[in-house]
Amino acid sequence: MSTELDETQTEAAQSPAELGGATTVGETDERTRAEWVDHEFDGDAKIAVEDLNVYYGDDHALTDISMEIPEGSVTALIGPSGCGKSTFLRCLNRMNDRIGSARIEGSVRIDGEEVYRDRADLVELRKRVGMVFQQPNPFPKSIRDNVSYGPRKHGDLDTTFLSRLLGRDDVDEEASLVEEALEQAALWEEVNDRLDDNALGLSGGQQQRLCIARCLATDPDVVLMDEPASALDPIATAKIEDLIEELAEEYTVVVVTHNMQQAARVSDQTAVFLTGGELVEYGDTDQIFENPESQRVEDYVTGKFG
Amino acid sequence: MSGATEYDLVREDTSILELGAGATVGFAVVLFGFGLAGLFELVAVTESVAGVQLPRLLGGLLTLASAALAWFGIASHRGLVPTDPRPSAGVVAATGAAGVWFVVGGLVGSQTLGFGTVGWLALALLAGAGGFAATALPREDLGTTLPVAALTGLGGLALLTGVIGPNWAWSPVGLRATFAAPIAIPIIVLFCSLLVGWAGAKAYGGFGARGRHLGAYALVYLNVLAILGVLVGLLAFVFTKGAPVVVQGITVGPGVGPETTIRLFGFAHTVVWPVDWPFVMNGVSLYAEVSGVLPAIVGTVWLVVGAVLFAVPLGVGAAVFLAEYAEEGRFTQVVEVATNALWSTPSIVFGLFGYAFLIPRFGGSKSLLSGMLTLGFMLLPLVVITSREAMLAVPDEYRDASAALGVSKWQTIRSVVVPASLPGVITGVILGVGRIAGETAPILLTMAGATEPSAAETADVVGGFALSTSPPFVTNPALLEATSALPYQLWAIISTGVGGDAAFGWGTALVLLVVVLTFYAVGIASRTYFRRKLHE
Repeated sequence: MSTELDETQTEAAQSPAELGGATTVGETDERTRAEWVDHEFDGDAKIAVEDLNVYYGDDHALTDISMEIPEGSVTALIGPSGCGKSTFLRCLNRMNDRIGSARIEGSVRIDGEEVYRDRADLVELRKRVGMVFQQPNPFPKSIRDNVSYGPRKHGDLDTTFLSRLLGRDDVDEEASLVEEALEQAALWEEVNDRLDDNALGLSGGQQQRLCIARCLATDPDVVLMDEPASALDPIATAKIEDLIEELAEEYTVVVVTHNMQQAARVSDQTAVFLTGGELVEYGDTDQIFENPESQRVEDYVTGKFG
Repeated sequence: MSGATEYDLVREDTSILELGAGATVGFAVVLFGFGLAGLFELVAVTESVAGVQLPRLLGGLLTLASAALAWFGIASHRGLVPTDPRPSAGVVAATGAAGVWFVVGGLVGSQTLGFGTVGWLALALLAGAGGFAATALPREDLGTTLPVAALTGLGGLALLTGVIGPNWAWSPVGLRATFAAPIAIPIIVLFCSLLVGWAGAKAYGGFGARGRHLGAYALVYLNVLAILGVLVGLLAFVFTKGAPVVVQGITVGPGVGPETTIRLFGFAHTVVWPVDWPFVMNGVSLYAEVSGVLPAIVGTVWLVVGAVLFAVPLGVGAAVFLAEYAEEGRFTQVVEVATNALWSTPSIVFGLFGYAFLIPRFGGSKSLLSGMLTLGFMLLPLVVITSREAMLAVPDEYRDASAALGVSKWQTIRSVVVPASLPGVITGVILGVGRIAGETAPILLTMAGATEPSAAETADVVGGFALSTSPPFVTNPALLEATSALPYQLWAIISTGVGGDAAFGWGTALVLLVVVLTFYAVGIASRTYFRRKLHE
């Protein structure tokens, strides 16, 4: 099969199954998918994905994805629009379950535990795998309530009127948790004097950092970010990028981005998805951008298409 | 375009046309307001001012405006003033003029000249065609001003010469009704000033595109003025008629008011009001100097409270199911159509349902509880419709964000979706309460008690609660007794003449208006509160 883009697209639409196997991707300049799994990274594998296929109705959105994401690093997912990178990200915390027509096959393991078990605990999974969205989406509540929303709803913080009345509330714990999360999101300095103000009054960049703080407040291991800076101006983007690098010291970060420079700047390893929902190349960021093995990836990262 | 004047980009001084036309428009607005005030009898248009009969004065002013308009058109046509007219005033304006002149021709032909059907119809058609031609055929400046000037001049002269005077009355042939001067004169003034405002605004803008824009602007603003006028006029009308009855006998001072005993489960506390307001604090009584509507006020308030307490939890619950849990599809469509149909069901049908279904189940006689539930059934569909819309309008981003934090669907609904949709829900309740508080027909069938309730018949719902040792453990006879309500008492007074004279009815109407507006105010205040909480 040719590796030219238009043909690939046609094939993907017509017969997804044909595209699925390693053989169809296995041109001379592209390694087979099995090798991506064996790719050796410095850290241990935090997330292990194997033979992941996603269908939206008849649309085959992801084809036989297998990869391992190492702990305590930043992994960037890049690729043109509609290549399935956001879909892949949403598989990691089962947000795709919320789309009625989605069908997911394959295996995703986090710390060796299968996420797609029948009896998987979604609450626990999403506490452990936090997510930040493309559009900043704080709740129409105060900054404090936004940050403590997750722990409160999980029952980790009790600040109800009744418990305050009985004197067994967690107001102090809440205050320190809110401060810690906002510090981590580099927002504390800007908002510490107005925690009771509505979050919708913040600027777009501040709102996005608040969403990161809200996600960190549930104490996750993994932070998923779906184009976190694409709705922001360059200065706010720079702040988010700095933040991502800082977060990698404590968390495993997976970032979807449209912006290849951003991927090159912030990530330790990069996965390139191309049209048809296939993972074409995955490796250390330097290698992907300077010396990719696949011709299609080279065309993409050098801006010949996409 | 012949005769069109090139404008400078910036015009420093005001031209004589702008000055005159601007004054004419202002003049038209004043006359329009005057006409509205006259229509609602806030100004007596048949009076005299400084020895001059008001109709003659108004006629003179209209004639003056007519002459000014005619001058604008002719001066513009002759090129005396800089304007930018188009070749024609256009088909829309011409059609409007044709309609107006058709009516004028028909009225003059049939009523003034006494023609038969064929005669007046011919004259009406002729006048209509003339109006159309006079507007559409000449250049825009003449076509806009002259037909309006002619009509205004006709109306103005009729008033000025006394043809239509204070004692004028018109009894149309074949119609058993009489239109007297107090209604005819304001209508003539309203109509003519509307047209003068439009034509004057067009002249002010120098005709052309800018003139049309300003003409439309003048019409829209006069329309707004008319709506506000109707609103204010209606309130003022009820107020002037009702206020004297409502305020009579008010005294303020410690201990002058009636005693009220507040009872709750056997405990009693008596309050002596520091104000005595007979109309609001008394029932109907032969012994009191001033009879009042206290039982009806209390009945209406309890009705609305009961209906809201019944309908809002059920309606919001149904809306949560429809918006959050039910799959969009055939089922939700059917439910949507059914709720819309229920909301447009005539209230007497709800009343009949309450009469046939509720009353036999609640002791067989009309009762407050039956009324509450019947009005609750009426309110329910609107609460469902507006709450569902409000919840569907909550952005999915909030739901995604909450789900991604591992928060369950029900907790998300409770702490994000419902708070975010509250302002919309409250809007629905406000609209619904406005409707049910004024309902008469269902109350008539399900709840109505005495038409002349005395103060002793006031429903004591709070004090009515009593505990008992056998099921149902809590009883409340007040809920199961018939009582009165303001719209019902008003209907009884006005239509059957029982329970007081017409003045008493106007007082009741004013109190009903104030009670409904108070519910509105409470609703709007709480909506503002929740909205502010969401955004500030």
